[in-house]
Amino acid sequence: MIEVSQLSKAYGRVTAISDVAFHVDQGEVVGFLGPNGAGKTTTMRILCGCIGATTGTVRIAGHDVLESPKQVKIEVGYLPEQPPLYETMVVRDYIIFAATIKGVANPEQAADRVISQVGLDREVGGQPAASRIIGHLSKGYKQRVGLAQALVHNPAVLVLDEPTSGLDPAQRREIRALLVDLARAENRTVILSTHVLAEVEAICDRVIVIRAGEIVAQDSIDKLRELAGSLTVEVSAPAPELTALLQKIEGVDAVETSDAIKFTVKTLGDVRAEVAKAAASHGLLSLHQEEGLEEIYLRLTGEAE
Amino acid sequence: MRPVLAISRRELESFFATPVGWLCLTGFSIIAGFFFAMMATEFSVQATQAAYNPYVAEQINLNDWLIQPFFANTAVILLLLSPALSMRLFAEDRKQRSLELLLSSPISSFQIVLGKFLGVMGFVTVMLATTLPLTAMLYWLGSPDNGTLLSCYLSTFFLAASFLSVGMLTSAMTENQIVALVTGFGVLLILWVLSWANTIAGPGLGDVLSGLSMLSHIDQLMKGLLHLKDAVYFLTFVGFFLFATTQRVEAYRWR
Repeated sequence: MIEVSQLSKAYGRVTAISDVAFHVDQGEVVGFLGPNGAGKTTTMRILCGCIGATTGTVRIAGHDVLESPKQVKIEVGYLPEQPPLYETMVVRDYIIFAATIKGVANPEQAADRVISQVGLDREVGGQPAASRIIGHLSKGYKQRVGLAQALVHNPAVLVLDEPTSGLDPAQRREIRALLVDLARAENRTVILSTHVLAEVEAICDRVIVIRAGEIVAQDSIDKLRELAGSLTVEVSAPAPELTALLQKIEGVDAVETSDAIKFTVKTLGDVRAEVAKAAASHGLLSLHQEEGLEEIYLRLTGEAE
Repeated sequence: MRPVLAISRRELESFFATPVGWLCLTGFSIIAGFFFAMMATEFSVQATQAAYNPYVAEQINLNDWLIQPFFANTAVILLLLSPALSMRLFAEDRKQRSLELLLSSPISSFQIVLGKFLGVMGFVTVMLATTLPLTAMLYWLGSPDNGTLLSCYLSTFFLAASFLSVGMLTSAMTENQIVALVTGFGVLLILWVLSWANTIAGPGLGDVLSGLSMLSHIDQLMKGLLHLKDAVYFLTFVGFFLFATTQRVEAYRWR
C-alpha cells in the first residue's frame, strides 16, 4: 500500500531525512517512532504530498506522489501534529468544507457519517459538539475534528502525526480507542508517529524507528524485543561455572553476577531457549527478559546515553 | 470549480467572523459616506453659485463634480484598506498551520490562490455595495450618467482586484500579518505613484514607468471610457500577481 524508497529531504544545507525506505501493507498499522527532530514529520508530510522530497520515491496505492499527487491525496487522510483547523468555523461546516475541497460527491452526507464515526455527535456544553465553534472545544475534541477532516473522504491510508500529543490521560485513552476502531474496523492502512510507547504496543502491528533522519530499525514489536536485550536468570544454588557456560552461547554479549545465583545476561538477539537449556541443569528457577520496549527504543534512538 | 468556490466562501465568511473584517467594512462605509457628504455639499454650493452665471452653469455637472471625485477618493480608501484585508489570506493559514489542510487536499496551488482571491474580492464587493445607497441618492437628486457610474464602479473593482492581488502575494511571503500589511502597502504605494516618474526620468524610461502605474490607467475609466489597453493592463496585472502567488505556494512544497 505504501512503498517508500531512498527518500531524502534537505532543507537548505540541513538534511532532514536520508535514504529512508520502508513499506506498509494494506490494513497494517505501523508506528513511526523517533525523538524530536528525527525526521518523522518530514517523512509524513512527503507521504501526503504536502512537501516534495529532494530524492527518492513514494508510491501509495500504486500512485507516485510526484507524478500523481492528486490521486495520492485522494487515497491519503492526513492529521498533522497541530490539527489544521479554522477556529472560527462551526465543526460541521468545517468538515463539510474539508469534504468539498477533497472532492467528496456529497459533502453533507460524508460530514454526518464522519461526525458520528469520531464521536462529534456527543453533547458538549448542552449541544452536540458538531454544532459548536471549533475554537470553543477542548483539545481532545479539536483532535477529533482533525481526525474527522482526515477521514471525511474515506481514505485507504491514514497518516497521523502524534495524534495524542498534548492530550490528558483520559482524552489520550479515548483517542487511542478511536484509532484502534478506525484502523481495525475498516481494514485501513495506518501510519502514526508517537512518543508514547504504550500506544504503539496497543495499536501497532509493526514499528519503524527513525534516528537523525535514518531508519535504525523496522520490525514487529516482538521482533524488536528480540533485537537486543538483557535476561535475568536465577538458579536454586550458587553455580559459578554457569558464567562461562552462558558466555559460550552465540548471541550473548556479557554475563554479570554477584552471588552466582542471579545472573544478568546481556544479549544481542533472542537466546532465551539456549540460556534456559544451559541453566536448566543448574536448577533454573526463573528467566525473564528485563529490557522493555522503552529501553530498546531509547537505545536505538541513542537517547539512553 | 467546487473546491475553489468552497475556499472563496470560507474566506468570505471568515471576514465576518473576525474584528478586522467588520472594522474594514465599517471604516470604509463611514469614510466613503463622509467623502460623499463633503463632495455633495461642495457640489451644491457650486451649483447654487452657478445659477447666477450661465457660463459656469454649463461646466457644472454631477459626473465631473461629484461622481468622479467620489470614486477617486474611494480608490484611495481601498489603497489603504486592501493590505489589511489581504494580509491574513496566507500568513494566518501558515501561522495557524491550517494551510496543511489545503496542501494535503487534491487541489492545485492555483485553485487555492484563486479561491482565496475570489473570497476577498467578494468581501470588497460587499464593501462597494455599501456605497449603493449613496449612488441611489444621486438619481433622487439629479440625473447622473449611467455609463460614467458603471465605469467608475468597474474601475474601482479593477483597482481593488489589483491591490488585493499584490497584498495576497506579500501575505504568501511571510507568516507575519504585520509584515504582509506593511510590505503590501509599500509595494502598492510605489505602483500607485510610478506615473510621477516620467517627470524625473527621461521620456523613454518615464513613459515605461508611467505605463506601469495604475494612476495612468484609471483616468480614462473614471471618465466613463473603457479602453482595451486599460482593461488588458488590469487583467495582466492581476494575472501576474496571481501567478506569482501560485508560484510562492508551490515553493512551500519545495523549499
